[in-house]
Amino acid sequence: MTTTALTADPAPQRGHRRAVLRRQLAPYAFILPFIAVFAAFGVYPMIFTLRLSFTDWRGSGTATWIGIDNYTYLLTNPAFWGSMANSGVLWLLIVPAQLVLGVLIAVALDNAKLRLRGFYRVAFLVPFVTPLVAVAQIWVVIFDRDYGVVNGLLGLVGLPDVGWLTTSAWAKPTLALLFLWKTTGFVVIILLSGLQAIDRSVYDAAEIDGANRLRRLWSITVPLLKRTLLFVVVLQTLAVFQMFAEPYVVTDGGPYGSTTTAGLYLYDHINRADLGTGAANSFLLVIVVMLMSLLFVRLLRTED
Amino acid sequence: MTAATRVRVRPRPPRVTAGVRTAGTQAFLWVLTVAFLAPVVWAVVSAFKPATAIVSDPLGLDIGTLTWDNFKLMFADVPIGQGFVNTAIVLAAKGSITLFCAPLAGYAFAKYRFPGRNLLFGTVLITLMLPVIVLIIPLLLEMKELGWVNTYQALILPGAVDAFAIFWMRQVIAEIPDELLDAARIDGCGEFGIFTRIVLPVIKPAMAGLAVLTVMNIYNDFVWPVVVASSERMATLQVVLSTLAQNITGNRIGADYATVTGELLAAVSVAMIPLLIIFVFLQKHFINGILAGSMKG
Repeated sequence: MTTTALTADPAPQRGHRRAVLRRQLAPYAFILPFIAVFAAFGVYPMIFTLRLSFTDWRGSGTATWIGIDNYTYLLTNPAFWGSMANSGVLWLLIVPAQLVLGVLIAVALDNAKLRLRGFYRVAFLVPFVTPLVAVAQIWVVIFDRDYGVVNGLLGLVGLPDVGWLTTSAWAKPTLALLFLWKTTGFVVIILLSGLQAIDRSVYDAAEIDGANRLRRLWSITVPLLKRTLLFVVVLQTLAVFQMFAEPYVVTDGGPYGSTTTAGLYLYDHINRADLGTGAANSFLLVIVVMLMSLLFVRLLRTED
Repeated sequence: MTAATRVRVRPRPPRVTAGVRTAGTQAFLWVLTVAFLAPVVWAVVSAFKPATAIVSDPLGLDIGTLTWDNFKLMFADVPIGQGFVNTAIVLAAKGSITLFCAPLAGYAFAKYRFPGRNLLFGTVLITLMLPVIVLIIPLLLEMKELGWVNTYQALILPGAVDAFAIFWMRQVIAEIPDELLDAARIDGCGEFGIFTRIVLPVIKPAMAGLAVLTVMNIYNDFVWPVVVASSERMATLQVVLSTLAQNITGNRIGADYATVTGELLAAVSVAMIPLLIIFVFLQKHFINGILAGSMKG
């Protein structure tokens, strides 16, 4: 039928050819607005940074090509490794706790018969939508050594004041708590989406088998949720190693550099107009984060 | 082994009644809810206390002494009004660009084969992995070169189409069956018509989610504005807030701790209002949108 139509009247054929051409050009038209912005403010600065990382440049004058000196300087600098270690410790304080807490909350909220379900979902997300600067500032005031609420509460039960943000022993856990509080709601939402994909009948079978709640959580929910859990781990690893604004506002990297995260250390170079080193530091950070992500992806693959 | 002994070998655990179980879950959730809401509630309530009382008695609440003083002082001391205006301008412009570009580009990546597609999408994925902070140095230099430091363009254009938005939209649009698009094509629908009449209605929930997430990210963005728009005239809301905070942490000489704390809590309370309103109204879309996006992730 198509052939007769085509031979009978050449006009639709021309129209057809034009439609094909339109179809070939359409994606470029759709992508053009994105490409314009992306090339100018995404790709261009990325290539610029890569080049910058091999030069010595203080923001004015000519940049001197110094090869890999910036990289060797950083890799032999204890302060660089210190910032990586600080982020590593924060990762340990944050990610495992967040996974446990996130799974427990998500499993509880997954029950459709739960009363006040909508209220809980909003409540857990309030810290996530509250501006980070605002959250960080609430933290500054609440954890103040002399006037803060937390020490006030401790005083009520007769415990001594703690320098939450002013001692190097407590500053990291306090910062970790801030991050946990701020982002766990988002993790719960992602985990909830993973839970919804699990087939209910698996649970029914386990219940008949006599497995109790904790057992079912550990041997059914967690394994079936592994893909989502790893997605969360990769996402949060990125976030923890890039963490910059939280310590910038709450502790400014102190006391004694104990909260100088990888992100904040990087910012410090920029702040001192040591741009070549800053660029090199950026790419080292990218490599670390990429390697960690690949490691987690590998873990997922081998265990499947 | 008989059936009877097998049953005895594996006795059923004592059944916990459903009532106790729900009570336990509710208690667990209530404790956490209090922990999640308490700091925000405390901040808002304290903003209405006399500044000296916030410091001397952080937990106490004397209804009779509640006052607007912190708010009055704060509005007089810091350019928070200008901060709101700047944030609103950036939000409107940047948000529109993201919500216009991301679905279109996502549609092209998901439903068309064209030379250069994989290279382009690969680049998008790489920028998804890059920390935002990586691009700050060259972007700032680019802004200086263009003479854009302390301008709206500098706040709006960089990061206007972020890689995550493109990636998300592509995932969502890829789920739309090709037959649906082809049927429209046979009916004589143009390529852009297919996008507006078929694709957009289908991805509406994800678009709502993207809208809320975009608004949230732009509203809360702080790193880039601090670097590129530090002048008082251009300071966004978040820059105003962080400047106030540094007066506390930096122990500004001569600054009265109690007064600054009061002003800060007042500023924080005011800054949270727009986002909370948006969120409460759109929370359903927001949550469903994220669910739609992450299922395939």
